[in-house]
Amino acid sequence: MVQIENLSFGYTRKQTLFDRLALELVPGNIYGLLGRNGAGKTTLLKVIAGLVFPRQGTSKVSGIESGVRAPEVLADICFIPEEYHLPPIRIERYVSLNAPFYSRFDHEKLAWLMKEFQLDLSHKLHQLSFGQKKKFLLAFGLSTSSRLLLMDEPTNGLDIPSKSQFRRVIAASLTEEQSVVISTHQVRDLESLIDPVIIIDEGRIIFQQDVNSITSALAFETIPEIKENRQPLYYEEALGGYASILPNVQDKDTRMDLELLFNGVIANTKGINQAFKS
Amino acid sequence: MKTNSIFSFRRLYLLLRRQLLSNASAWLIAFGAVAGSLLVLSLLVAYFQPANLAALTGLYFTVMFIGGYIFTSNIFGELHHAQRSYQYLTLPVSTTERLFSAWIITAIVFPVIAVLSMALIVLIANLVMNFTFDVTPFQSVFSKGSWTSVKVYMVTQSVFLLGAAYFRKNNFLKTVLALFVVSVIFQIVIVTTAYFVFSPFAEEGAFNIGPQHMSQQMENVFLTHVPATARVIFWYLTIPFFLIVTWFSLKERQV
Repeated sequence: MVQIENLSFGYTRKQTLFDRLALELVPGNIYGLLGRNGAGKTTLLKVIAGLVFPRQGTSKVSGIESGVRAPEVLADICFIPEEYHLPPIRIERYVSLNAPFYSRFDHEKLAWLMKEFQLDLSHKLHQLSFGQKKKFLLAFGLSTSSRLLLMDEPTNGLDIPSKSQFRRVIAASLTEEQSVVISTHQVRDLESLIDPVIIIDEGRIIFQQDVNSITSALAFETIPEIKENRQPLYYEEALGGYASILPNVQDKDTRMDLELLFNGVIANTKGINQAFKS
Repeated sequence: MKTNSIFSFRRLYLLLRRQLLSNASAWLIAFGAVAGSLLVLSLLVAYFQPANLAALTGLYFTVMFIGGYIFTSNIFGELHHAQRSYQYLTLPVSTTERLFSAWIITAIVFPVIAVLSMALIVLIANLVMNFTFDVTPFQSVFSKGSWTSVKVYMVTQSVFLLGAAYFRKNNFLKTVLALFVVSVIFQIVIVTTAYFVFSPFAEEGAFNIGPQHMSQQMENVFLTHVPATARVIFWYLTIPFFLIVTWFSLKERQV
């Protein structure tokens, strides 16, 4: 679906955000794109969508360079940014003006999603709250039946019930042909949804594993003390001891803590990646 | 089904429809305000100086030119808006369709509506104030001179279309400034060239160039070929040139 090879990018000549970055995304997954502030998560989504062009290397969607902005490729991409402006028109008109561009637009799915999100076609877009606008964009994006959905911080601005609603809707409406890339800081919101996990730092992909491999290779445990003979790959002080990431040598079945994993990968990239090789 | 990546009439129609209907209310308000002001002015003229109603045609066209340039300068507003550009650029249409959609709206739809509005204003001014229909002002709107004005507008607005795609903010003012700078540079080049070409004919520091200094062939070039070439460049090459440059500007556009 998406092939990025040898990608270099920077907003200015002096600054380099990505240096020879490589990434491949296949259909049927909900990729979680994690990284620190300024790591380039949003920019990577923009490169994939053809909104910015690589300085070197290539980014291809369905075998066509993203920067070409070919209509048939754009019809297969839905990009939901973190901040957006919607025109001062009714939802009904927005749909009638934009849906015909997408040959596989599913009006039944839109009706279902609108009902789920308690939105009405007669609502005026500019009068909706930030969260409602986000829900509408999500409903419209999912209804386009695009094979690649790019979402930048999709749970920002959503209240607690809406976050679980978001997870439920995404899980229920995706097909095996579709890929979703979610860039987020809110790892707790999307922990149960994301698989695989991609962590980006200093212009490189420093971690990319699916959840099954992560829980096979790593154990997430709270241990009472740090022992010399069993040093965790990463640990943080927590209630009742230390929240730790340990090599899963005993094949324990533990639940992945995405926030801990993210902090661990940033702090000990080499050590954690090594655990997947042994 | 294989789709054409470069151009499709269906996508162009959808894009035109989207642009016209999404912006309809804002455009109608602006257009209505200008047309309304002209109507009031025309009614006053029709009442107080009915003989001068036809003379207002010049004002109508001046307003059309300035209004059209400002309208054209803002046609890619969605592209330059930080939170709207992603939507415009990820819409499944080609660069060619984006260009033609903007060009059709600003170079064809706008002058057609403007001229029809002028005719309507004249008609209303005539009927309301005189209760008779004087065909003279009506003819002035559809005269040969008016048709030439529309053609001149269509050619010159292509410069503002490039400004609309190229500049991110204050597109109209920046385009006017760019035109001013280019014209100054052009004049400097012309004057400098003329100085070096004709300096041998200078008499006591002043140029007194006359036909006696030119050969028949040179006179022919300056009086026949140069104007003819300039006419061809203006009428036939300006629009394609600026449309092509605008196309590249849109193609290279990033958010």
